[in-house]
Amino acid sequence: MARNEVLVDTEWALAHIDDPKIVFVEVDEDTAAYEANHIRGAVGLNWRTELQDGVRRDIIRKESIEALLSAKGIANDDTVVLYGGNNNWFAAYAYWYLKLYGHQDVRLLDGGRKKWELDGLELVSEPTVRPATTYVATEQDRSLRSFRDDVLNAIGTKNLVDVRSPDEYAGRLLAPAHLPQETSQVAGHVPTAVNIPWSKAANDDGTFKSDDELKSLYEGAGVDLDKDTIAYCRIGERSSHTWFVLRELLGIQNVTNYDGSWTEYGSLVDVPVAVGDAPGQA
Amino acid sequence: MSSCGAVVGGVSLDHVDVTKQAVIQGVISNSAGPASTGYARLNDKNGEFVAEVPLSERGEFRFFAAPGTWTVVALIPGGTSRTDVTAELGQIADLDITL
Repeated sequence: MARNEVLVDTEWALAHIDDPKIVFVEVDEDTAAYEANHIRGAVGLNWRTELQDGVRRDIIRKESIEALLSAKGIANDDTVVLYGGNNNWFAAYAYWYLKLYGHQDVRLLDGGRKKWELDGLELVSEPTVRPATTYVATEQDRSLRSFRDDVLNAIGTKNLVDVRSPDEYAGRLLAPAHLPQETSQVAGHVPTAVNIPWSKAANDDGTFKSDDELKSLYEGAGVDLDKDTIAYCRIGERSSHTWFVLRELLGIQNVTNYDGSWTEYGSLVDVPVAVGDAPGQA
Repeated sequence: MSSCGAVVGGVSLDHVDVTKQAVIQGVISNSAGPASTGYARLNDKNGEFVAEVPLSERGEFRFFAAPGTWTVVALIPGGTSRTDVTAELGQIADLDITL
């Protein structure tokens, strides 16, 4: 898929902001960000209350995503342009999520909310109301998603890419440094996983690096892109960013996101864990 | 479930046992006062990105690091700066960054 079919820049966004078939969707952990202000006409998605199953630890089911997108006024034939804070982590997660449920035309706004703000572009506080639709989702496309057993089976055989920061990978930090370092899991990484932090794929303003730079980044780190690749982080947002880079920007099809990520793996009993800066042995 | 996400200004210290944390926090200002729009980024000693938070309305940010040397990168409209800082367990490193 060509880069311009999955990624739009601010100029494109400004030119299409009033197109009724293009829906801008902001996704942040912090819903206060959307409520405070957002791109004119954008609807908000709350990853915690709207994209997580309230009972099981899982993403929401087909019927729930259909009800959610219908209520937000998103139709099957709309172009959805996702953007958000955190250098588009949550927007990339929502992108992966919508692809999982078969939405055809999804794109990311390059640089997300940060670039929009730093460029001084207009943000409004009025909530957006779009007429409800009748959204029909497909069954989950499991070729985009990995589970814990897939990860265990991939040790020493497939590419495992840990996209957290080097200190989280090595086990010196348990969580990203803007969060308290108190979690129940052990620290470290899946043995044989290479550490390619998501941030190496992005410029300071949150935009993605060029395709050539991205390809050299993964190949330079010894990732054989002909093999299957599983990306993971802590809870699946940052790895969605890397999944987007590999599958959507570079067009490598055999890439999955392990959304259980370290929060799940680091809590499993009787599985191998590596600590330190080296990938470790199978 | 805790998220990987960043909240404006950083997570509150309420209910956090700071004796077990190595906190780096501060305020980023421009010539008009605290910057209400912008981001604070934390890089490790090798210059690698570790975390980033949007500034609060009062220009505030907070990180929970590990003991060691770090760099806080201030990103505000029209300006960027880098400030080195040392974090220690049980200590709060307070920065006042003006661009």
